[in-house]
Amino acid sequence: MIGRRIITAAMGCLLAAPVLAAGTGQLVTGGATMFEGAAGGGISPWAVLNGYATREQIAATGGFTRLDTGDYRLGVAGASVNLWNRVELSYARQELDLVTLGPALGLPGATLEQDVFGAKVRLFGDVVYTASPQVSLGIQYKKNREFGIPAAVGAKDDQGVDVYVSAAKLFLGGAGGYNLFLNGTVRYTEANETGLLGFGGPEGSDYSVHLEAAAGILFSRRFVVGAEYRQKSGTLEGLPEDDWFDIFVGYFPNRHVSIVAAYVDLGEVATLADQTGWYLAIEGSF
Amino acid sequence: MKTSRRTRRQIPRLRNAAVGVCLLALANGVPADDALFQALGGIEGVNRVTEAVLDRVYADERIAFLFKDSDRDYLHQRVAEQICVETGGPCEYRGLSMERAHGGFQIRHDEFDAFVEDVILGMEDADVPFRVQNRVLAIFAPMREDIVYR
Repeated sequence: MIGRRIITAAMGCLLAAPVLAAGTGQLVTGGATMFEGAAGGGISPWAVLNGYATREQIAATGGFTRLDTGDYRLGVAGASVNLWNRVELSYARQELDLVTLGPALGLPGATLEQDVFGAKVRLFGDVVYTASPQVSLGIQYKKNREFGIPAAVGAKDDQGVDVYVSAAKLFLGGAGGYNLFLNGTVRYTEANETGLLGFGGPEGSDYSVHLEAAAGILFSRRFVVGAEYRQKSGTLEGLPEDDWFDIFVGYFPNRHVSIVAAYVDLGEVATLADQTGWYLAIEGSF
Repeated sequence: MKTSRRTRRQIPRLRNAAVGVCLLALANGVPADDALFQALGGIEGVNRVTEAVLDRVYADERIAFLFKDSDRDYLHQRVAEQICVETGGPCEYRGLSMERAHGGFQIRHDEFDAFVEDVILGMEDADVPFRVQNRVLAIFAPMREDIVYR
């Protein structure tokens, strides 16, 4: 309740204060905050950096994310800083409520919790202003706050590192006059269900290369509609993972606020099939 | 009043130049695709957009100082010529290269962003359709690297 009141008050301030200092990049080019804390869409990080900082500026971003499939409910609080449009440092705290599995395992109220510390460096290019795409290298250090359940299902480690390379480009007028955004990401990971079920399995470390992609069309300067894909595998026996998809709409009324809503399809997650549901992320930038 | 006077004064000048360049283009058999130029409303549309953009720029305290020593009429002519040429219109750009025109100013990325914002708002002021705006921006966005930190 208190949390909700704080969020409401914060949102009110954000919407009422468009003159606060912030970066000056063009709207939407900072992306939103994906659920692991990095600038991106919803389920995949993008090559863009959070906030709208240019080479002369520093921008800070904070936000909340909810994902709900009925059987699983994920809450994320995250914050990041963009240093000179060169480096993005981020932190996200994730809490996954095992709505169905908890009681079934005799652990009502059970959650999986994880911290994600991220860093992303823009290697070259600019998503809007250069012929080449913007290319960034990212790293995510993930650490489980509770390792009981991941250990019980066979995870080897309570911490792991994902490394990814992303390329993003905004094609001005590229979709019948509308701006077209494309991003591709290649990730090297040994995380089980993105780390919420630990890292590595019975065979020990077992890294895989996964592909992720996002595409969006800006139907106005403030409104984007798109889709994302994230390839997944996992290393745990008897707990196969499916690739993830989402279809999202993003609203960027000004450089201080963004709201992303999505329909997500996570497939089978930890023995529960057909995990589809909604996703909502609200972010503020300064 | 001042603005509309300036616009009226420039249209004939540009039109004369345009006719000349057009004849040259015909003589050389250059079949330019002028769809974007036409979408902007031809020479008159280009003048209207240029005027609206410069109104925004001169009123923008973040970057107006960069133009304080520029003659607005001269600037209008060069910008209009450039928009005309780059969108496939029958004009000739008689200004400096982007590198030379901005040399010595050390224009920063945030200042360039402010200019782009003014260009967008100026096009809005001139009632340029959104999809036409994007196509215009697509032509000028890659020029940033020739303009900043020179």
